[in-house]
Amino acid sequence: MILVKNLVKEFPKKDGSVFSAVDDISFETADGEIVCLLGVNGAGKTTTMRLLSTVFQPTKGTAEIQGWDIRKNPDKVREQLGFLSGDTGLYNRLRVHELIRYFGRLYSMSDDEITRRMQEMADLLDMNDFMDKKIEFLSSGMKQKVSIVRSIIHDPPVMIMDEPTSGLDILTARHIISFIRSCKERGKCVLFSTHIMREAERLADRIVMIHKGKILAEGSLEELRTATGQTDLDDIFVYYVNLYSDEEKVKADEF
Amino acid sequence: MNFKKVIIVFRKELMEVFRDKRTIFTTLLLPVILYPILIVGFNAIMARQSNVLEEQGATVAVCDSVQTAESMRIINDLSKIENFKFIPASDSVQSLYQSKDIQGIVTIRDSITANGLKVYHVFVQYDAANDRSSMMYSKLAEALQETEQEMVREKLEISGIDPELVNLVDLRERDTADSQKKMGMILGMILPYIMIMMLLTGASVVAADLVAGEKERKTLETLLVAGVRRIDVVIGKYLTIIFMSMVNLIVNLFSISFSLRYMLAQSGLDLAGANMPIKAILILLVAMLPLATLFAAILLSISTFSRNIKEARTYEQPILIISMIMAMISFLPAVEMNSLMALIPVVNIALLFKALMINDYQVSHLLITIISTLVLDVIAIWVTIKLFNTEGILFRSEDDSGGIKSIKKNKRNFFTPYNGLVYYTLALVALYYIGSRWQIQDLTSGLVKTQIILFALPVLVILRLLKMPVAKTLRLKLPSWKQVVLIPFIAIPATILVSLFSQLINVIYPFPESYLESMGKLFELDLPLWGSFLVVAVAPGICEELLFRGFMPRFFEKYGFKINIILIALLFAAFHLDPFRFFPVFLLGLILAYLTLRSGSIVNSMILHILNNGFAIFIMAFSGSAWLNYFMQDQENLRYWVALPAVVILYLALRAFHKVTAKEAELCVE
Repeated sequence: MILVKNLVKEFPKKDGSVFSAVDDISFETADGEIVCLLGVNGAGKTTTMRLLSTVFQPTKGTAEIQGWDIRKNPDKVREQLGFLSGDTGLYNRLRVHELIRYFGRLYSMSDDEITRRMQEMADLLDMNDFMDKKIEFLSSGMKQKVSIVRSIIHDPPVMIMDEPTSGLDILTARHIISFIRSCKERGKCVLFSTHIMREAERLADRIVMIHKGKILAEGSLEELRTATGQTDLDDIFVYYVNLYSDEEKVKADEF
Repeated sequence: MNFKKVIIVFRKELMEVFRDKRTIFTTLLLPVILYPILIVGFNAIMARQSNVLEEQGATVAVCDSVQTAESMRIINDLSKIENFKFIPASDSVQSLYQSKDIQGIVTIRDSITANGLKVYHVFVQYDAANDRSSMMYSKLAEALQETEQEMVREKLEISGIDPELVNLVDLRERDTADSQKKMGMILGMILPYIMIMMLLTGASVVAADLVAGEKERKTLETLLVAGVRRIDVVIGKYLTIIFMSMVNLIVNLFSISFSLRYMLAQSGLDLAGANMPIKAILILLVAMLPLATLFAAILLSISTFSRNIKEARTYEQPILIISMIMAMISFLPAVEMNSLMALIPVVNIALLFKALMINDYQVSHLLITIISTLVLDVIAIWVTIKLFNTEGILFRSEDDSGGIKSIKKNKRNFFTPYNGLVYYTLALVALYYIGSRWQIQDLTSGLVKTQIILFALPVLVILRLLKMPVAKTLRLKLPSWKQVVLIPFIAIPATILVSLFSQLINVIYPFPESYLESMGKLFELDLPLWGSFLVVAVAPGICEELLFRGFMPRFFEKYGFKINIILIALLFAAFHLDPFRFFPVFLLGLILAYLTLRSGSIVNSMILHILNNGFAIFIMAFSGSAWLNYFMQDQENLRYWVALPAVVILYLALRAFHKVTAKEAELCVE
């Protein structure tokens, strides 16, 4: 499970002031649950996920992955985690099976284990045709499948996927979405981000809406619908964004 | 560190490197093809060329203004040279020479000595810049010498003297260097340079790709989220660079040595039976290993710092150039290995190499070389691991070090470390090209002009143009009287310690005579004492301080108080363009920068600077007086015991200064 506690990430700006990309965020994701981080571009989704992946160090606050603190035990966190984002590229000069084997070995898996798991995943994601190809010759859909296998070759209990379907055709995107759902059925804890409302609607057990580094709202689709009186997720999102902007305005007026 | 994972990273990196056709070409194929073609091919062309020259021969105009039997004989002997044609000189001889139709003009004149002996003068006009003409000259000279000996011999015989008088003193040489050693000496000159360069180029190709390349291809984050610790990644990549640079080195070395052997055999050197000193080369490869690790560590940290391969290659350039110059030490005939040299990276390997090639080395030097290189190594690796853990470095966004426009827009943008280095470089260039020229023309006015026009003026002009508060920026502010009182107690012991330090360096590594002479000139200016004081002490005390303690520290403020001081001292020491005084000046720079930055007043360091520079004049002025002799061993050198009170006084005075400036230091932080 993922437990995020008052996470803050500030970046220094050129003029010396700081910019809070993630501003005091808290939420949790249980095992066997799919949680979606929903927000527009630049809302802080990717930064949040990078913090959870231990690539970034939080400015304040912390988070736990399977009980391991991302500040104190980053190595343990990475062992429990499958992480995938637009910035996790693949080594073009390697063949698919070489690349997957490389990452499997880095997770201290035995070669037999890697072979078995690789075969399982290749069957599941329909990849057997291109396991021997060099990655530079693959299409972006194929690459995304390789990325997924790469990230969860060690069968981690927690998966974090940053816009896993971005840039893919409908068929591959569906394939990946159904795969994510199957992970949930096997008791995995999945956190994924998207700005496509349809995906969030179809996949997520709970939705966490992020805007300008802050959480706007959190809950299942049904809960959000009752709270706002809107049916469409688009409308719900806009409703909360407006609410947030009004608050900002009010705050500004008070001064 | 998990060694198993290090090896996993290492093996995967090697696999990738060998899949890159460019790397394979530059590290393996190119050397195998290039050297034979270069060395053997070039040699063949050279040999052919000199044969061709001799076959071409030369046409020489002769003007015999003596016309005796003996002069005719000289000409006759000369005309026996193969492929030479002699024509009588006509009026057009100079124009023929100009148009290169003839390669030389020989004129014979005579004169009578006081004893009545007739002497022949053979004038040879030739063009040393022309291959054919200079070949003509050397052939003529050779033939003339033979003729002369022959003629003298005959004359002696006629006079009834033993003709062997010509060989009264006979020079016979016996070279004890065996061919092995000769080979070693030649290789010892060329090979260190080539090997060090090979090591570096081999490493730099791979290093840029390993981290900066991963950033460019967006694979670094994939690796960082995988189940491996950063230290394992760094070490794995580090081993890859070392391995590839050693592979590159070995391939190059074998290719070169085979080609060189061929070339030396061809060039007529007596190298019968000389083998490549294989044992020496093996020892050398071992000695090269620490250097390989050092280069790998430095290049890896550059690669980690850079955003992309192109940037990494740019930052690698200075390292390449500096190492190239250091490696060139092996070309210098007089420089030999000693314990001090063994401490300097790159230089030590070059000299060790030279010593090894003639089988004349000390194990202690080998050990110092390896250990000192390894120490630097550990530092560089530590820096790389630090960089790897700094997300700001790992995910650096586009830099905003913009041009003049952005400076005008936001004055804050002016004082960036980048601009600081640019300004420093410009000042250094100005000093080197303009200042040194002024000083050659006239030392006194040159020194003053350099200080005022090159150092102080531009700083003031720039601050004016940017409309910045001059006094505030440069910390031009009167210090409290307590501080001023303390300065002499810092200045005098500091100066003494720095002088002792230079003295010590002089003992370990004596300054060359010419260097001492040029330094001495500074204190023999044709000026009254107060004049020298103004030129040598006051002018630099004010102008250099404005530049180095007023202006430069503003650029590096973001690094914090301590690092700023160290940086400024380093830049100040390097600015003197004088390797012998680097460390003494660095120490002085630390104190100077500390005084200004701590107290917020540049006047403190100005006074110290003036006192320090005035010290030498003071000693000159009072040299010989009895009380001074108490402290001095001779004209120039202080007695060593002086260090003890100096350290104590300096320590106490600096501590007092630290206390006195507590308030100012707080204000400075703001």
